[in-house]
Amino acid sequence: MSDTSTHTGVPIELENVTKQYTSAGLAAVDDLTMSIPAGKIVVLLGPSGCGKTTTMRLINRLIEPTSGRIMIGDTDARAQEPNELRRGIGYVIQQAGLFPHMTVATNIAQVPQMRRCDKQRISTRVDELLELVGLDVAQFRGRYPRQLSGGQQQRVGVARALAADPSVLLMDEPFGALDPITRERLQDELLRLQEELGKTIVFVTHDIDEALRIGDKIAILNKGSKIAQYASPAEILANPASEYVEQFIGSGSAMRLLNFSKVADVELGQVAQVGPDDDVARIRETIDGADTPYALVVDGDRRPTGWVTSDGIEGRTGTADELATPIETTIPARATLQEAMEGLLSAENDVVPVTRGHGEYLGVVSLGTIQQELADLKERQKERRQHERVGAADGGDSA
Amino acid sequence: MSVTAAEARTATETPPSLVRRNWKSAITPVVLVLLVVALLSFVRSQKLDTIEQNNLALPYIFQKTWEHVELTLAGTILVLIIALPLGVALTRKGARYASPVVLILANIGQAAPAVGIIVLFAVAYQIGFWTAVVALTVYGVLPSLRNTMVGIQQVDPALIDAGRGIGMSAGGVLAKVELPLAVPVILGGVRTTLVLMVGNAAIATFINGGGLGDIVVAGINNQRPLILITGSVMIAVLALLIDWLGGLLTQVFSPRGL
Amino acid sequence: MNLSEYIQSRQELLIFEFLQHASMIFQCLVVATILGVAIGIATYRNPTLASFATGTAGVIFTIPALALLGLLIVPLGLGVAPTVTALVLYGLLPIVRNTILGLQGVDRVLVDAASGIGMSRARILLRVELPMAWPVILAGIRVSTQLTMGIGAIAAYASGPGLGDQIFSGLSRIGGAGALQAVLSGIIGVVVLALIFDAVFVLIGRFTTSRGIRV
Repeated sequence: MSDTSTHTGVPIELENVTKQYTSAGLAAVDDLTMSIPAGKIVVLLGPSGCGKTTTMRLINRLIEPTSGRIMIGDTDARAQEPNELRRGIGYVIQQAGLFPHMTVATNIAQVPQMRRCDKQRISTRVDELLELVGLDVAQFRGRYPRQLSGGQQQRVGVARALAADPSVLLMDEPFGALDPITRERLQDELLRLQEELGKTIVFVTHDIDEALRIGDKIAILNKGSKIAQYASPAEILANPASEYVEQFIGSGSAMRLLNFSKVADVELGQVAQVGPDDDVARIRETIDGADTPYALVVDGDRRPTGWVTSDGIEGRTGTADELATPIETTIPARATLQEAMEGLLSAENDVVPVTRGHGEYLGVVSLGTIQQELADLKERQKERRQHERVGAADGGDSA
Repeated sequence: MSVTAAEARTATETPPSLVRRNWKSAITPVVLVLLVVALLSFVRSQKLDTIEQNNLALPYIFQKTWEHVELTLAGTILVLIIALPLGVALTRKGARYASPVVLILANIGQAAPAVGIIVLFAVAYQIGFWTAVVALTVYGVLPSLRNTMVGIQQVDPALIDAGRGIGMSAGGVLAKVELPLAVPVILGGVRTTLVLMVGNAAIATFINGGGLGDIVVAGINNQRPLILITGSVMIAVLALLIDWLGGLLTQVFSPRGL
Repeated sequence: MNLSEYIQSRQELLIFEFLQHASMIFQCLVVATILGVAIGIATYRNPTLASFATGTAGVIFTIPALALLGLLIVPLGLGVAPTVTALVLYGLLPIVRNTILGLQGVDRVLVDAASGIGMSRARILLRVELPMAWPVILAGIRVSTQLTMGIGAIAAYASGPGLGDQIFSGLSRIGGAGALQAVLSGIIGVVVLALIFDAVFVLIGRFTTSRGIRV
């Protein structure tokens, strides 16, 4: 199959797309123009009835637009024969839509069969895909959908959608019918798959948390599929474009924003360090010279291995290595602030070392660090609100 | 891999079984055959007068049974040829308005008594085997037609959407998704039709269509209870056998996994 | 003569047979309903008993009308008795099956709630289960009616009452005058009767089904 590190997806352009069901009344999709970058997960987010599912189904022409143009890659969607078009687009729906009278393998093989691939290749591909979505080939090949759990069914649904190696994947609330634990698990799987495959994914959901978790870009939609804001998750959280968007995010945007800041971006604290072979005298010297009554034991590879405290070495002899309390928790630099906070809460100390890729010491983080970060966020939000108020008071255009 | 512990657990357990219990249903034909054997032995052991001898001769009984089976099969095959394609056609988009009309007509038709239909055809045209078959067909179409339509209509729309969504043509969805999933219901209708056929084939006797009805009527006309009972039991056993057969066919042809 | 002439000339007879047929069906239906519902109530809580009851009624149902009639003629002779017995037996299956299905289909949670607030078994049956199962039971009775309507026509062969007489007299006069008209009037009579009964059932359903569960 593929071990592509570059994406295999194509960009999608929606140009002035409208879908009107009756001549009177509101359009389901009202003059929508939107650009979906290749190889990214774009989430269409909105309340029920806002037109997000309709928009998605316009792309693979399960619904025909009343006007406007949809370009998939460099082809007009309408140029192709609809069935042919759909065979080149992966389609995943909420209840997985697995055909109950076919085995897992036959379900997955549908599109390749329609494209007249030879049996051997199809069989190999089925096995590949099962492995890709995390299902044991021997066990699941011959099973029927009703013998699978909801999460397993949805994995097969994704496998089926990927069978013909499409460049575009359409997913309509695929994890909506699953329990929260399975849902999170499958979201992670999707992200992992995306890392490997780089498809262009259009993902419809009404769940803000899901959108924030998996979206590279999120389009928050209003009635008529009108775009309220179309930006990255961090941007939406930090600068919601309107009250509607704010309402949609709900409270807790500040907390959520913690998820999008990396520990590496925060200013880390530093502590005194000692080597593993330093004796008590050296340790005492280092600690006395520092601001804090403890020091970090860092080994030859620059990895933090333990803490020594002035109380801990009182009246004892030995090397730092022998006397230190071992470190159980470290936080990787690429972790989010939220993960850092969880690490801090579960660590045995108030201060936790931050490590880089192979475990090398970078600095330390404490609850105080997080506090500072939150304070900065508040500050920025206050400024933004002020700016808006000023703009409104001026009677001119606000931000 | 990344499968949760819970998922892994269910993965290693044996999947819920798909096997249906077949051994129990094998009892029915055995019992029925034994019944027939018992009956016929009893009959042969009795002292029979001339009329009874004529009507209860084994070759005669077998011949009548065979005629009955012919009537049933001919009628059922005709019904299938008409009802299945018609049923499928009536569920297509274009037939949205035709289908309730057809169903109402068929319902009214079914309210008409079977004996009436058979006699009507005989009086209007002629008596005999094929008239009986045609009349039987007309009467037996409704269950198969209705079940074909219902069977197709009860297919989960999400599956049809999924089918079209992955690029199946409308015909492909019909052949690969709708029809296979409708098979159990359709076969249920065929089973009902078969049973109806057997029952109404008995009435064919009134228009010289042959079949086991002849024996029953002979028993009533000549006031010979033994003949009457033999004819009736044979018809009953045949009906039950064919019903069992219908059940077996339904199980065999229903796709696995449903 | 054509059909309308035929009908006009035999008006009294036809009306008599029409009413006779209706009355026969009605009475058999009443008996079948009482028996069927009783059997259903007695067995629905026990799965083995329930499937035995349904199975037996099913076997009877599968036996063709003429055969059953023939078997009943032996002990009961010709006339009304075998006809009525056969019709009642046929009517049993749809009613028994639907009674059991309907009662079993009542959400266990509701029964639990009812006994939780202190209702006796009988009261639960009467006030909760039966009313909720009623639409299904009524559907079963309706199917029974349709079935027995058609089978009732054969009754004439056993010298039973009803419109079957028209059909068989048409048969006996086959090739002769009025044969077709006789058969047609018999058939039409039964169809009209069936439609009338069906309409009555729809009305009964409307009025007796509580608005809360009316579909």
